[in-house]
Amino acid sequence: MQSLDRMLAEFAKQKLEKQTRRHFLMDCVAKVGGLAMAPLMFGCGTGTSAGSTGLNLSQRDLNPLSPLPPPYGAKAKSIIYLHMAGAPSQLELFDYKPELAKYHNQPAPQSLLEGKKFAFIRGTPNLLGPQANFSQHGESGAWISDFMPHFQKLADEVSFLKAVHTDQFNHGPAQLLMQTGSARLGRPSIGSWVTYGLGTENQNLPGFVVLTSGGKTPDAGKSVWGSGFLPSVYQGVQCRSKGDPVLYLDDPVGMSRNLKKNVIDAINTVNKEEFDAYGDPEILARINQYEMAYRMQIEVPEVMNINDEPKAVHELYGTNPGTESFANNCLLARKLVEKGVRFVQLYDWGWDTHGTDHDGSIDMGLRNKCREMDRPVSALLLDLKQRGMLEDTLVVWGGEFGRTPMQENREGKTQSFLGRDHHGDAFTMWMAGGGIKPGVTYGRTDDFGFSGIEDKVSVHDIHATILHLMGFDHEEFTYEFQGRPFRLTDVEGELINKILA
Amino acid sequence: MVIHPKKMNNLKIAGFLTLAIIITIAGFMIFGQEKEVDFSTQIKPILNKNCISCHGGVKKSGGFSVLFEEEAFANTQSGHPAIIPGDPNGSEMIRRLTSNDPEVRMPYERTPLSPEEIDLLKTWIKQGAKWGEHWAYDPVQAPETITQKTSAGFSPDNNPTSTNTIDFYVGQKLEEHELAFSKEEQPLKLLRRAALDITGLPPTAELVDQFTSQEISYEQAVDKLLSAPTFGEKWATWWLDLARYADTKGYERDVSRTMWPYRDYVIRAFNDDKPFDEFTIEQLAGDLLPNPTEDQLAATAFHRNTMNNDEGGTNDEEFRVAAVLDRVGTTYEVWQSTTMACVQCHSHPYDPIRHEEFYESAAFFNNSRDEDTHDEEPRLRFYSPEEKSEIESVLSWVKENESSKAATERKNFLTYLEPKYPSHNAVDFDNAELIDTKWLGIQANGSAYLRKVDTRGSDQMLMYYGSGLDGSKMTIRNGGPTGEILAEFPINKTKGDITRAIPLKPVTGLIDLYLEVENTRVTSDQNAAKFVWFAFVPSLAGKDKPGFKDVQNTWETALNFRGTRLPILIENPSYMARETHVFERGNWMTLGEKVNPETPKILNNWNPEWPSNRLGFAYWLMDKENPLTSRTLVNRVWDQLFGRGIVSSLEDMGTQSDPPSHPELLDYLAWKTMNDYDWSMKSLIREIVTSATYRQSSALSAELFKLDPQNKWYARGPRFRLNAEQVRDQALAVSGLLSDKMYGPGVKPHQPEGIWQTVYNGESWNESMGEDAHRRGIYTFLKRTSPYPSFISFDAASREVCLSRRIVTNTPLQALVTLNDPVYLEAAYYLAEDMVKQDADKPEKGIAYGYEKLVLNPITEVKLETLSTLYEEALAEYKSDPESLVAFFDIKDKSTNPEQAAMSVVANALLNMDEFLTKP
Repeated sequence: MQSLDRMLAEFAKQKLEKQTRRHFLMDCVAKVGGLAMAPLMFGCGTGTSAGSTGLNLSQRDLNPLSPLPPPYGAKAKSIIYLHMAGAPSQLELFDYKPELAKYHNQPAPQSLLEGKKFAFIRGTPNLLGPQANFSQHGESGAWISDFMPHFQKLADEVSFLKAVHTDQFNHGPAQLLMQTGSARLGRPSIGSWVTYGLGTENQNLPGFVVLTSGGKTPDAGKSVWGSGFLPSVYQGVQCRSKGDPVLYLDDPVGMSRNLKKNVIDAINTVNKEEFDAYGDPEILARINQYEMAYRMQIEVPEVMNINDEPKAVHELYGTNPGTESFANNCLLARKLVEKGVRFVQLYDWGWDTHGTDHDGSIDMGLRNKCREMDRPVSALLLDLKQRGMLEDTLVVWGGEFGRTPMQENREGKTQSFLGRDHHGDAFTMWMAGGGIKPGVTYGRTDDFGFSGIEDKVSVHDIHATILHLMGFDHEEFTYEFQGRPFRLTDVEGELINKILA
Repeated sequence: MVIHPKKMNNLKIAGFLTLAIIITIAGFMIFGQEKEVDFSTQIKPILNKNCISCHGGVKKSGGFSVLFEEEAFANTQSGHPAIIPGDPNGSEMIRRLTSNDPEVRMPYERTPLSPEEIDLLKTWIKQGAKWGEHWAYDPVQAPETITQKTSAGFSPDNNPTSTNTIDFYVGQKLEEHELAFSKEEQPLKLLRRAALDITGLPPTAELVDQFTSQEISYEQAVDKLLSAPTFGEKWATWWLDLARYADTKGYERDVSRTMWPYRDYVIRAFNDDKPFDEFTIEQLAGDLLPNPTEDQLAATAFHRNTMNNDEGGTNDEEFRVAAVLDRVGTTYEVWQSTTMACVQCHSHPYDPIRHEEFYESAAFFNNSRDEDTHDEEPRLRFYSPEEKSEIESVLSWVKENESSKAATERKNFLTYLEPKYPSHNAVDFDNAELIDTKWLGIQANGSAYLRKVDTRGSDQMLMYYGSGLDGSKMTIRNGGPTGEILAEFPINKTKGDITRAIPLKPVTGLIDLYLEVENTRVTSDQNAAKFVWFAFVPSLAGKDKPGFKDVQNTWETALNFRGTRLPILIENPSYMARETHVFERGNWMTLGEKVNPETPKILNNWNPEWPSNRLGFAYWLMDKENPLTSRTLVNRVWDQLFGRGIVSSLEDMGTQSDPPSHPELLDYLAWKTMNDYDWSMKSLIREIVTSATYRQSSALSAELFKLDPQNKWYARGPRFRLNAEQVRDQALAVSGLLSDKMYGPGVKPHQPEGIWQTVYNGESWNESMGEDAHRRGIYTFLKRTSPYPSFISFDAASREVCLSRRIVTNTPLQALVTLNDPVYLEAAYYLAEDMVKQDADKPEKGIAYGYEKLVLNPITEVKLETLSTLYEEALAEYKSDPESLVAFFDIKDKSTNPEQAAMSVVANALLNMDEFLTKP
């Protein structure tokens, strides 16, 4: 009881503190009111406004993440990108292949294997029939397996891309291609491009947030949310469930919030003096930076805390506060977007079902993994819809490639579990929300689900479409580096018109 | 700062005017009514801006291209040339530019060219359409000698002139833009600027004293800084970004690798002021120098900083090729400011470099022994002095009993274990496999081929392998299952992987080795052995002589060396040489025509005396006729000091680059560095930092900001935020925590829990203790997929690819680092200890002392008042809340008292001041 009282008291104190701080800042804004630099706030009482500096600075000079209008009409304001790292099997989730079941355990026809390279399959593998039961759902009649019982009910909310293809069949390069448009390291990720182009709405939170689950970062490491050649301010900021939610966010032990506020005020007053002497606008940007850091210290823990969510929300998502889980991250994604974060990227590791062990088996491991994903993903879509946020939030789901219709025979040997090798020729992704026509199934694969035979979609096509929905022409959206303009879509990419609303 | 007061020498103006008039008149007289149009400065920019995207390297719409001279004048699809020299009105190009028909008029569906531009093009064609090259492809010419003194507004002896040629060229541009030099920076601020630029650290107390007491001049202080060992640590950081140096392999598993001896080589090279030509040749081709030293071999690790892919299922050849292409691209970016990556897939869209030329350059780099193997062979073995002298005894034995050639070969083998055949080249498996696509595994009763092997007639094979099974028999045959038996031997369980010598029947020429294993006791498909590599090294001669046994033992011990090994470049012997082909559209699977090692035609000529390999290529790069090497070097050094290059696109000096702000200055420095300084980087840096241009105050007025926001014309001194390593190093230095220990393996100072979560990689961040927790940033272990987090926040590179400049950003995450990262609190604590000591009763004294210690400038009243108030607030809080005091000191493991805590809070604020985080 005592601890609850203390928590309540602490809560009230924090609220008050934040309010006071806001007032303090509002005051400052009022004093410099009418100037082009409203977000720039000095400690009050310094008596100088940026307006009187006579510097002709843009918002971006002071804050490179300040929002910019999209060049063309945007359908979505923010993106939640759910990446299943390791590559989930389309053949157990969405791409129903009854013919494959018929040929289960038969050697794969040579015509299928000719000229193909696989990561681990050698010689002639056997075909592996679907290990899940499929049925059609919604008015759209989309096929969804019983590995995804909740998601079945949302069939009409999403647009399926059934014939996505990639030329990479190793995790690292394929994840890089999917997230940066190039299989080699060094290019900016989608989230970096988008925050570079649009900035972000809420300056108290990072504009591009990354949440990971599954106990590991993706195979390609932090490069999949790196900013490549774009300024590093546009890289993804990993928010964590354990430790500081953002690195170095917590005040030092024994330094109260009040004292921290005094520290920042003192730093900014000293910096203001320095600005008066040196006139370098970088100093103004630094002052702004410390104000933002202070506000971030309040707002990030608040948004990252899911303890106080109503019970119904926890039940909806299947969340478990205090742990690192995909469910928690789905709920956090909604909260972050609600607060004005531009791009939320989720990585869930553990989808690499080769059949080398129980967890990596197609029939058991994958079913369990789907159980962890099905509910929160469905909850996220529902929650966004109920809050009216799905209209301007684009949700993308997928892996870095798909999996073979053949049983993996690692180095020509028989394996003890059912598993599928990496496969880039055809796999399923889906998109939903902002600007996406719901209930569409686009693209078709052959009877074994090996290759796309209709309406194939490349990784660059997906990028072109994402950028289009955010209000960019992917061919015009470029950045000069090493003497040439670079694009997310390199020299490729076609809009997937049929899935646009 | 005063905007150009027009106090310029009137006579000089008159002189300039007269000269200009004479030139103009002369122009009229010589060319009738027009001056000759200059292709590279007047025509090429128009073509690049308006035409080249459709009529360039990739697209040649209508069969017309303006990229190369012969293309521009060749017949187009219409059957006629578009440009007819001397006849603007008969040239289709002009007709298209001026047509009223929108279907005909160029640029198609875009804004037409301005009448001025069209007139220029007409005049150019009329004058004969003379083609020329971009300025950066012309060799650097000797500059005229500048004897004139520049009115720099200040100098140490109060004589308002400077004889530094830099100031002459900068002064000229300032005049042109009606700007003037600022006054000289305050002496101690200037000292701090120079120290941060030269050593990456604030000046030592000793240097500050000597300088303040005028015991030494500014120039002498600069010399002291240049000779400090910390100089190498600072400048190596710059070079390591270009070299993409890291302590891990990259890609999925991103496991650790031993690269630090290369980092140490770079630091030593800078400290020894190794001339840049030598530095270049050693890094690109040290292995090809006659009798290379250990250092020269270590230098070649420059190009082993390419990533290495360990991910299961990846093809080693694919990533070997990726590394070779990266080496080509990186070499051109580092030494030539040229984007070769474009040319990998097609002819350059803007620069006159052809698709084949990329692969001709690649042919220089395609013949090194490394093959993306897991062990990263070849590796230079760093033997201890004792081991070296023992090895010497083996070598003299070989010299005596065989020949000096044999001794050299054996020495080379012991130095880097080459030549050898990695087992991943095995093919045609029968009950065999490539384990994890890395090593040959042969099952009991399995076989595989190692094709096109040259055993050099050796009577012995060395095999590095491991086995978990007893009782196998291995047979090696010439050609196939029925071929002649070359060796036959048992294989039993081994303790890990071992090197073993096996007698071999000598054969000559290229043969296919058939490797076969039998084991009657095993039926499962378990591997009988895993093979890593095979090498053909003859057995030692003189077996019957006394002392042989010792020699043999020493040889075997050396072979099994497990100490520090650094990946290096070693050239293929002729019998292992690879052919290089063009990759169609950049795809390594689609081979085009075969190419020979050659350099791009547009650049300097090849000297036939140079060897046609990496060494020759390095000579070519460092040839004084090469137009780009010296310009690239001085441009980047300039950028390090001024935060902006003379050509601001540091990575590109090609036709799409920004024009140089001070072309004569660029060429002057380039010439001087090559010819007068003999490539000494210290001399170049010294010349720049002693110029009046560098020594100006960096204070900025609104008016000046309006005229030159980016400080392109240098009417003020450089002022910008310190880089990631400097931010941390400086905090450690001023608090007395910084260790001056140099060299050795990367250290792992504190970072938050849970940063390293790489898949299939069991490594962890084992925090360094003692002084290793406080080493300079350059020694911090750099994991590519998960770099040290606080460095990344401050724009450090993750070093996957070559980086010519770090873009300086400003984000709240940086503030969080310097406010909250425990290392900055530790620094604050120790700095505060020093501050409290000043005068226990008068905290203001301590605060003023701390401030001055950090920025070498007395504190102002407002700042002192602000910080004293902070002190009082903190003191009151810690006095009233002893619990938080205890908590605050808990992390320090130090004595508790409210004064020390409050002063630590103030020190924390001091370490976050903009003026501290910024080069003044």
